Amino acid sequence: MSPDLVGLIGILALFALLALRVPVAFAMFVVGLAGVSVLSSPANAFNLLASETFTLASSAELIVVPLFILMGNVATASGMSRRLYDAAYAIIGSIRGGLASATIVGCGGFAALCGSSVASALTMGRVSLAEMERFNYDPRLSTGAVAAGGTLGILIPPSTGFVVYAILTQQSIGRLFLAGVLPGIMLLLLFILLITALSIMRPSYGPTGPHRSLREKSVALMGAIPIIGIVLLTIGGIYVGFFSPVEAAAVGAGLVIVFSVVARQLTVKSFYHAVRDTIATTATVMLILISAHLLNPFLALSRIPHEVATLLTGLDIGPTGILALILLCYLVLGLFLEGFAMLVLTMPIFFPVVVALGFDPIWFGVLVVLTLEMGLISPPVGVNVFIVKSVAPNVPLRDIFAGVMPFWLVMLVAVILLVLFPQIALFLPNTMIGG
Amino acid sequence: MLAFLRTNVDRLIGLSSLLGSAALVLVTCVVLVDVIGRYFGAPLRGAQDIGQMSMVIIVFGGMAYCDRIKGHIAVDIFENAFPPRLNHAIDIAVAMLGAAIFSAIAWKVIQSAQLSLMLNLSTNIINLPKAWFQWALAGFSILTALTMALRAVEIILAGPEVHGEQGREVL
Amino acid sequence: LGETLSLAHFVAPAHVVTASVVEPLSEGVEADSNGDLTIQVYPGGELGAGPMEQYVRAVQGVADITWGLSGYTSSQFPKSMIVEMPGAIPEGMTGYDMLWNAFDEHLADEFPGTRPLALWVSEPSIFIMRDREIRSPEDLQGLRIRVSGSVPGALVEAFGATPVQMPAGEMYNALQTGLIEGIVTGASAVNDFKLDEVANSYTVGAPLGHIMFYLVMNEERYEGLSEEHRAILDEHTGRGLSQKGEEGWNASAERTLRALRDNPDNTVIDLTEEEIATFTEIADPLREKLIEEMGAEDVLTAMTGN
Ligand code: NA
Ligand code: NA
Repeated sequence: MSPDLVGLIGILALFALLALRVPVAFAMFVVGLAGVSVLSSPANAFNLLASETFTLASSAELIVVPLFILMGNVATASGMSRRLYDAAYAIIGSIRGGLASATIVGCGGFAALCGSSVASALTMGRVSLAEMERFNYDPRLSTGAVAAGGTLGILIPPSTGFVVYAILTQQSIGRLFLAGVLPGIMLLLLFILLITALSIMRPSYGPTGPHRSLREKSVALMGAIPIIGIVLLTIGGIYVGFFSPVEAAAVGAGLVIVFSVVARQLTVKSFYHAVRDTIATTATVMLILISAHLLNPFLALSRIPHEVATLLTGLDIGPTGILALILLCYLVLGLFLEGFAMLVLTMPIFFPVVVALGFDPIWFGVLVVLTLEMGLISPPVGVNVFIVKSVAPNVPLRDIFAGVMPFWLVMLVAVILLVLFPQIALFLPNTMIGG
Repeated sequence: MLAFLRTNVDRLIGLSSLLGSAALVLVTCVVLVDVIGRYFGAPLRGAQDIGQMSMVIIVFGGMAYCDRIKGHIAVDIFENAFPPRLNHAIDIAVAMLGAAIFSAIAWKVIQSAQLSLMLNLSTNIINLPKAWFQWALAGFSILTALTMALRAVEIILAGPEVHGEQGREVL
Repeated sequence: LGETLSLAHFVAPAHVVTASVVEPLSEGVEADSNGDLTIQVYPGGELGAGPMEQYVRAVQGVADITWGLSGYTSSQFPKSMIVEMPGAIPEGMTGYDMLWNAFDEHLADEFPGTRPLALWVSEPSIFIMRDREIRSPEDLQGLRIRVSGSVPGALVEAFGATPVQMPAGEMYNALQTGLIEGIVTGASAVNDFKLDEVANSYTVGAPLGHIMFYLVMNEERYEGLSEEHRAILDEHTGRGLSQKGEEGWNASAERTLRALRDNPDNTVIDLTEEEIATFTEIADPLREKLIEEMGAEDVLTAMTGN
């Protein structure tokens, strides 16, 4: 059997295992181990298992993962995240569809705090869905907004998506984070535009919220000031060279803990639960990363990345055509695959092609993360949709998927805008830290 | 017998996640002390070494707990389309597969620890021996394998009727 | 009957290791064996990410041959890495000769489970700085300097700076944002990691030592080769390949330095004898102390051959 045939069988087996509800990490472990066993030797496969497991579990760079998750979890446990949402709500809640728009802003704010889309959707879902239901919002709009808004978590820095992309492709995390800011804000504004348009067309979709006085608005804003300050200090600290990403994450987590304790909003018990949730989420993420690193040698040995790269670069459709094909690949894969695993699976295949075509790797990173976000809400497998379903059990799954479709289309518009105007992503990194 | 095992494995899972949590708090403190110390010209020696090796405890200390709360991401869109017997069989197979994977990790990492001793491997600044942390990783993996094996037995005994019950009880 | 050996490394294919070591080796054995013995290269960590496990990968046979930096796992190579110490290589000697001179008697036990195919050192390390001119140890007080390995770490500390360890891929960003003020490594790294985009001052001539590299092969795999293939492999490895490595690094460094000097945005500082002495005063006692602590005076003697 030729190596690429083994590779192809392996990829098909991976899809089959995923469809059979085998956890993503386990499926990649099995296919990686079996594939390396066939293409090299079982001894090598199991030696790789040991060395990749320990290498990744002791990675100095990946300490950012648990630290940023801890920061988000403590902020949620102590109510700091909710106050951030309250402030957004007080300020724009009275305009048409305002609560849904406020939810999007809250998601954006939470995204600036937390690197994970799942955590963003889960947290914002808990906070906002009940409020929107109270004001008779159509569940399609409210769940759609939370599921889509939650995906901002991996576009607006800090972002687990960018961190993984940077590590896989040896790009600078700082530049990628900066590159995500403007597209994140753009997408946030497009979402709000969409909500407003939908609410104007169908007033029952998003009725207007109550008016708040300037005083009420400032009170709500005051409540959110500590968390806004911490976010600015943490993210800003990376860019001015005060902290490395790991240090920034630790400082952010430390400050959130200190503020929560001082404000008497964190008990020993709720703190321990936040920490334990953090290590559980870390275990989930790291196990997927480890298993994907076992799949990588298998793909390398099968020579498939090499052949796909040759095939794609050889197509006579011009660089833009190839880029479109790659993005289309992500959209199709995104229908089935969890975004994070997809990134690790495909990057060894596509990144060399993209670099060879002369595209900016930072800009490509933003495009990829944007398409990953689309995968998070697209049926049949939309992780964020399932998360929202878990906090809104009364809303049928098909309604949530119907609700997210307009948001998915708006994200497609954002992808097209970003392809047409790469400056949207590259302006900040190029002006703030030079070409 | 099974209840006895369940109680004690759950205790070990609690201990394991407590160790992982402690390591996370330790890393946060170590990095903070290092940053503050650097500001005053006295960074913490070996902060990076401690961070790297604690990461092993954070990641694998939480592994058994992560499995206990069904924290591993799986694609369950076809779950309702499958007959209950198939779902039951899949649940058993997945738990047994997980037990096999984590047993393999433990077995190979223990072997690698022998190699680390032979090569005298330790961290660069404060010489934390690599083998210690490989043994820790292996220990946490054995516990995770045990958790999954136990779950396989419990699912077999429960039968296909009770499928779909979520295991999110707090330990 | 063709035999294919896998060679894994963790850097991009364009890195200096490809032209100076990997290609001479693979082209040499392929030509001499009439294509019967070939080497399949897996660059960029395809067979396993990260530089830390490179030696272990060869021992376990994940790849037959691996390339790595001794400094990443300093604790494994205390005696070999004497060659990295500042001032250890006397005028007129080469690093690879010193390593092979002492190999059989002193260093072989630092390479269990493998057969070293090449051992060599980089060009002398220099200061690669952003917005800082280094002419004496005083200029380094309180600065954060990225090093690879424990020996340069101790040296930079002795000069009064704070050593920072980080993956090579992060150097660019760290220098850019000011997380570190400078880097101690060979000039060839400037090219390999595009540091010239972010650094602007380079100091040449200070005793900063060298960086040691190894290319090792799984021992059983080597023993299992046919006698003919072993002979061909021997022909293209050892001192000869080590020399190619060291000369390749030196040539790359020279090219890089020339380009840096030609660029008016950069300052390249060539230290005077007096300025060098201010560094040597600190570096020499440190080297002697480190060697004495190890009780490895005889290793250095064997290396220099007198
Ligand atoms: Na974010
Ligand atoms: Na999807």
